[in-house]
Amino acid sequence: MSQNAGASQGSKGPTKVFPSPEAALDGLADGHVVLVGGFDGLGSPEALLKALSARGVGNLTCICQGAWAPRPQGGDSGLVQLAASGLLSKLMAPLPFQTVDSSERVPIEERWRSGLLEIETVPQGILAERLRAGGSGLGGIFLPTGVGGRFQDGREVRQFNGQDHIFHPAIHADFALIRAAAADVVGNLVFDGAHRNWNPVMAMAATVSIAEVDEIRKLGGLDPELVISPGIFVNRVVQTL
Amino acid sequence: MLERLDFEAMTRRAAKEIASGQVVALGPGIAEGVTGQVPSGFDVWFLTPAGTLAYGGSGNRRETVSWVSVPLSTVDTAAVVHGGHVDTAIIEAAWVNTQGDFAHWTSGATPGLNAPGSAVELAACSGRVIALMRHTRADGTPNILEASPSPADGHACISVVVTDVSVMTIEHGQITVLETAPGWTFDEVVAITGATISPAANLVEMTMDAPIARAQPRQKVYATGLEAVRDIPNGAMVNIDGFAGPGGMPHYLMVSLRDHGAKDLTIISNTAGITRVVNFGTPPGRQAIDHSILVENRQVKKAISSYPVSPSPSTPTAFELAFQRGDVELEVVPQGTLAERIRAGGAGVPAFYTPTGVGTLLADGKETRTIDGKEYVLEQSLKANYCLIRALKADTLGNVVYKGTSRNFNPIMATSAEVTIVEVDEIVEPGELGPEDIVTPGIFIDRIVLRPADFSPYD
Repeated sequence: MSQNAGASQGSKGPTKVFPSPEAALDGLADGHVVLVGGFDGLGSPEALLKALSARGVGNLTCICQGAWAPRPQGGDSGLVQLAASGLLSKLMAPLPFQTVDSSERVPIEERWRSGLLEIETVPQGILAERLRAGGSGLGGIFLPTGVGGRFQDGREVRQFNGQDHIFHPAIHADFALIRAAAADVVGNLVFDGAHRNWNPVMAMAATVSIAEVDEIRKLGGLDPELVISPGIFVNRVVQTL
Repeated sequence: MLERLDFEAMTRRAAKEIASGQVVALGPGIAEGVTGQVPSGFDVWFLTPAGTLAYGGSGNRRETVSWVSVPLSTVDTAAVVHGGHVDTAIIEAAWVNTQGDFAHWTSGATPGLNAPGSAVELAACSGRVIALMRHTRADGTPNILEASPSPADGHACISVVVTDVSVMTIEHGQITVLETAPGWTFDEVVAITGATISPAANLVEMTMDAPIARAQPRQKVYATGLEAVRDIPNGAMVNIDGFAGPGGMPHYLMVSLRDHGAKDLTIISNTAGITRVVNFGTPPGRQAIDHSILVENRQVKKAISSYPVSPSPSTPTAFELAFQRGDVELEVVPQGTLAERIRAGGAGVPAFYTPTGVGTLLADGKETRTIDGKEYVLEQSLKANYCLIRALKADTLGNVVYKGTSRNFNPIMATSAEVTIVEVDEIVEPGELGPEDIVTPGIFIDRIVLRPADFSPYD
C-alpha cells in the first residue's frame, strides 16, 4: 500500500490532497493502532472519525486525549461514537471518558465494564513524551513522574541527579488522524489556538498521517514562519466542507 | 443548613495563593475558573489544560496589558511541566489524605477509572501544589481522609487545600486548618472531615479579596549587553546559539560576555567558532565575530559541540589551536544528539535512547540497549546556567519570534538554562506578536537586549 495512493496528481507537481475522508483512510485495517488528535473536542478530526466509523474495520487501538463530548456544543463527538461502537478493542488516554450523570452509564463505560473495551489510562505528559520519542526516532525516555505509583507498573526505575525516574518506551502508530486549520498541497500545516494540542506530535508518530483541514492552499501559500507541522510528517490531506 | 462556598468563591480564594511573577498551571475542572479571578494586569502566566499559556488573568479587563496567549502543543506543555517551569499548580482533587497524597477528581466521578489527565505531572513537577475540591461528596462522604480510598495520582505533594468550607495546609503528615468558610466553626469542619485535623493558632474566617496586583510586570529589558551578562560567574555553563555561519548568533551578547570577562566557561554550542576563519559572507579585510573571541580572550575552559573545528586544516580555529595546546577541553556530540540533549534538559527528561552513534567511538563508555530489535545508546540531558540567544523580535513579556534559519538552536536553548538572555533587532509591546507567530513564550526569557543599530558582527 502506497502511503500516498489515491492522491490527486495535479499537473503542477506533487500533491497530497485526497478527494474525501473515506479515500484518505485507504489502508487503515483491522488491528491497527490509530492516533486521534483533539483535546476535549477542540481540534478533533470529526470528518475522518465519521468515515472511520463507517469503514467496517475493527479491533483497533485508539490513542487520544479521550472520548469526550466537545465543549460547549455538547452532543456526541466522533470519538464518543467510535468508542461506543464495536470498532475499538482498546482505548489509551489520559482522560478516556466523562461520566456526566452518575445514574446513567455512557455507552463507552458499558463496553468497558462488560470487558468488550480495554482501557489503559496514562498521564498526559508521559503519553506526549512517548509519542514525541516515537516521532523523533528515539527508543525511549526517562521521566520524573509517577515514581512509586500505579503508573510505574513494573517499569525500570533509575536514578539521575539523585532522583528516581521511570523508563518509557517510544510509541509509534500505524495511522494518525489529525485536524489542522489549513494545509498546503504538500502537507505543511498551521493550527488555530487550542486546537493545536496533540495534532503536531501525532503527525510525526505514525506511519501514515492524515490531516483534515478547513482550507487547502497552494504551494507557497503558507508563511514559512507560521508552519507548525512541516509537510514531511503529513502523508494525506483532506478538506472538510 | 450551613452554606458551602460555590465554585466562584472557591476559585477566588485559590487565586489568593498566586504570587506575582509565577507560572501557574491549572488542572481540568473547577481549577480552570481561577483565571477569571485574577485581574488582567497581574504579572502571572497561566498554563491551561488544553495547552494555552496566557499572560495575566481574564478578570477585570480595565488593565492596560492585553490578554496575551500563546498556544502550546501537548508536547510543549509536557516539557513546561516536566521541565520544572511551573511554580504553582492548582488541581481539582477527588480526595486528599494526611500524607499529602491525592487522586484526580475523575476518581470520584467514575469508580474504578482513575483517569489522571495531566494531574500526575502537575503534582510531581510543580514547585507548589494546591488541591481545590469539595470537602465531601454530595452524599456527605468525606474527601479529606487518613488513607487512600483509590489509587493515588500523587504522593506527598499537596501542601495547601482549598475546599468549599476551609483552607488547610498539609505538612509532615499533619493537616492544619487556617481558615473556615463564613459561618463555619472549626468543630463543624471536623464533623465532615475523615482525618484528624488541627486548628491553626490564628484560625480565621476565609476572605476572598483578589491577589495584590503588581504595578508593573517585571522589567526584562536591559539597557546594554554588558548589564545583562554582568552576573555570569567564572565557571558558568553557557548555551550559545548559532549553526555555523555568520547569521543567527548573538554577536552583541558574545562581545558583551568577552568584555565582562568571566573565565573558565563551558560553552554549549553547535560550533566552537568557525566563521572567524572560514569567513562565510565576511566582507574583505574584516573578521567575523564568533565564539573565537571568547577563546582568544582565554575565557573558555571547555566546549560541548558538534563541529568544533575548521573544515580546513590550513585555517585552524582559535578553539582548535587552544585544544592542541592543551588549554581547553572538548566533548564532541553529534548535532542531533546535541539538540536532543539540550531539549531534554529543558523538558525534564534526564536521559534518552538514540540510535545515533551506535557502533562508533561516540558510544564508547555509554550504555547501549536493544529496544524492539533496534540498538540505541543512552545519552544524558544538558542544562546550562546561562543562555545567550538571538531572535528577530521580542515583546516586553519576553515572547520571541525568530527569522528563517536563524531559529536553529534558539528555541530549545531558551528552555534549558536558568537565565536566558535574548538579543533582538526590535522590542515591541505585548499583543503585537500574534499568538500563532510566537515560537518561544516569555516564560523562558529572563532578559532582553536590543542589538544596537550601529553594531557590526565583524571586527
